[in-house]
Amino acid sequence: MAPNISLIDGSKLIVESLAQSGVEAFISYPITPANWINQYSSKRFPIMTFAPDEITVAQWISGLSVAGKLPATATSFPGLALMVESINMAFMMELPLIIVIAQRLGPSTGSATVGAQGDLMLVNGLISGGYNIPVFSISNIYDCWEVTSKAVYTAVKLRTPVILLTSKEMIMTSHSIDLNKLPKIEKVEFDYYESDEKYIPYQTNKDYVPFYLPLTNNKHQVRINSSTHDETGTIKKATVSALGNTIRLHNKIQRRINEYLMYEYKKETSDLLIVSYDISAESTREAILQLNQKGIKVSFLFPKTIIPFSKELIEIINSYKKVLIVEENLSGLLTKIIYGINQPENVFKVNKIGSMITPSEIIKEVERCFQVY
Amino acid sequence: MFSSLLIDKNSPYCPGCGHLNVTLNLAKAIESLNIDPLDVIVVSDIGCCGLIDPSLASHTIHGLHGRACALASGISLAIENPNKKIIAVQGDGGATIGIAHLLEAARRNFNVTLIVNNNQIYGMTGGQLSGLSSENFQHEHANINESISPFNLIELAKSAGASYTCQLVGKGDFSEYLKKAITINGFSIIEILEVCPSYGYQKYSEIENLGFGTTEFTNERKPFKLNKAEIKSLINFNESKIFFESKLDKPLKIILAGSAGEGIQSAGELFARAAIKCKLNVTKKGDYPITVGTGFSVSELIISPNEIHYTGIEKADMLIAISQVGFDYTKSKIDDSTIVLADSSIQNINSSNKIIFDFGKIFGRKNSAVASLGTLINLKNFFPFEAFEDSLLESKHRDKFLPLIEKIKTFTSEINHIA
Repeated sequence: MAPNISLIDGSKLIVESLAQSGVEAFISYPITPANWINQYSSKRFPIMTFAPDEITVAQWISGLSVAGKLPATATSFPGLALMVESINMAFMMELPLIIVIAQRLGPSTGSATVGAQGDLMLVNGLISGGYNIPVFSISNIYDCWEVTSKAVYTAVKLRTPVILLTSKEMIMTSHSIDLNKLPKIEKVEFDYYESDEKYIPYQTNKDYVPFYLPLTNNKHQVRINSSTHDETGTIKKATVSALGNTIRLHNKIQRRINEYLMYEYKKETSDLLIVSYDISAESTREAILQLNQKGIKVSFLFPKTIIPFSKELIEIINSYKKVLIVEENLSGLLTKIIYGINQPENVFKVNKIGSMITPSEIIKEVERCFQVY
Repeated sequence: MFSSLLIDKNSPYCPGCGHLNVTLNLAKAIESLNIDPLDVIVVSDIGCCGLIDPSLASHTIHGLHGRACALASGISLAIENPNKKIIAVQGDGGATIGIAHLLEAARRNFNVTLIVNNNQIYGMTGGQLSGLSSENFQHEHANINESISPFNLIELAKSAGASYTCQLVGKGDFSEYLKKAITINGFSIIEILEVCPSYGYQKYSEIENLGFGTTEFTNERKPFKLNKAEIKSLINFNESKIFFESKLDKPLKIILAGSAGEGIQSAGELFARAAIKCKLNVTKKGDYPITVGTGFSVSELIISPNEIHYTGIEKADMLIAISQVGFDYTKSKIDDSTIVLADSSIQNINSSNKIIFDFGKIFGRKNSAVASLGTLINLKNFFPFEAFEDSLLESKHRDKFLPLIEKIKTFTSEINHIA
């Protein structure tokens, strides 16, 4: 098929992918650099309005989700910070919703028009008790289409909030892309409860996820609860059945990861693996092309399902003598998630704040990696 | 007749608690309106009144402290059927922390009924004062020596636009007021003054002695309706028309630098569309401060026969500078091999490879970005000018660009003549 080239930015692809995947409602509060997503959304979703603050955003999208309208929002760190308690609520209630995070330079208000990869530890530790919600990372323009769609799938099928982690330069830069390379997206359908038997809202079978019924149905009573509850949705103190329900929330995210695991891995005959994500993955790709021209081969791994960080990815990483982790933050957040504070000597990092990591900075570190040992 | 809203008559509250009478009145109101309990969605807050869920045959959703009204508002956004009744239940504490949510619900006039169980105190945490505790109650019950007049919730909701507001003392049968609140179109709020045997007033007469009675207000206002925009795909899957050829054999990195308001970003976009017409890959990255209307504005453009990954520019092949502030911001990205095309107003250009023109004077400040890009294309021929011309003529500013295109052509032929 002849190429079908279009000039497009990541924000537009994300919004179109959300819509085609089945998102019906979009609520947000203005914030840079998520504004393009908000603007496109006003023309793309049947339900779209701005809320007066991000706590309200998170509550409204939760209300939409529980009433059968799949919702999404987009924000940046300051907005995410306000949403934290409500995202915990949605996790506990098991509400599908999609939160796009456009990372920008922090701490605090930081610099709204400067990109960054500074929120990985926050989204990893977002849920009280150390539970994870799935976090997806976009590492090139085409991911804005495919990874977004996978995020929607995961939110609906696992009945959970999900985060789509991206950053200013990834969603506000225009690219020429071949539209024919965008795979067709299927609308994700809720797994509705269809039996005539009494509906027990948090009862599950082996796949850890309860069947869905919106609060608008007239057939079965639905009880949804943010506090510790048993499978009937009734508030309980730490009873065996209530704790069992809570533990299931952990299990569904961890044990079904293969269903939503996405990554790109290129294996070369090399001792060195470069691991990167989000905007830095593109610099890494360019650096590797330039290294190849010099006859130097290195492998790369770009996790796109970045939280939980899958054991499958750990096994790949552990099969290399040297690992270089490239990310646009000061101290290496993905490095901390993989290794904790006890970073092994064979792990190298390229970190930076204030502007994108350049291919030449990566090449320099790769050359240093080869000199060590 | 539908079944009763109340399925569990065992009160979850302390003996003598005012919340029980509210629950009984709510059940009576729903039953006398003959509403199917499964047409009712009760959204409960954190606090003693949030213990209501297991007693009810309706749908129930139990959320965060102070957010019940916001969560109920979100549910109402999904529901167009006016027969569905969304009822949020909060205490005075929840109404205090979530006061912005109820004002917003009133302003938009969402189809939600909010019941505020005001027993003057935070019961679950040991009897602290809320923003709705009366001054008299503060004097009597607080260990702290202060007295601050409480929010008048009803007045606030009324002025924010709620369809129905009501305040009453929660003794006896007040189900008629609940029925009004539930049946009215739009947002209704009913604040019920209550006893709390553990920490608050013990008798309703104590509340009545303070002068509280029943006040209500109806506001003729239409309920909230979503303004439904026309929805269509953001991507035109049939827009590509490739017409031109480029001889470019390696990436070319061009920075267009100017000031806010000079059309830098849109000129960069027109250039990028022209490059696409020549089968080139292209990226366009904008850079500007957070203020939209002032300061520098920079468009970083990469065109290449190969796929582009890194979209930044470490060193520019060409820099077009049309204002001083833009040049100053980008000058660290040029070296001696960079071709600098600059407006004559720009000072301190340290380059042996510079071309200076009076773009501002010849084309006008607003046209300088497009004109200088057009001039660069004409001078360096990395792709045909006709592609850029095509891109300009496809834009919504076609009429403005028609004379500009001729002016650029004349200008560059004069320069080429001189050269």
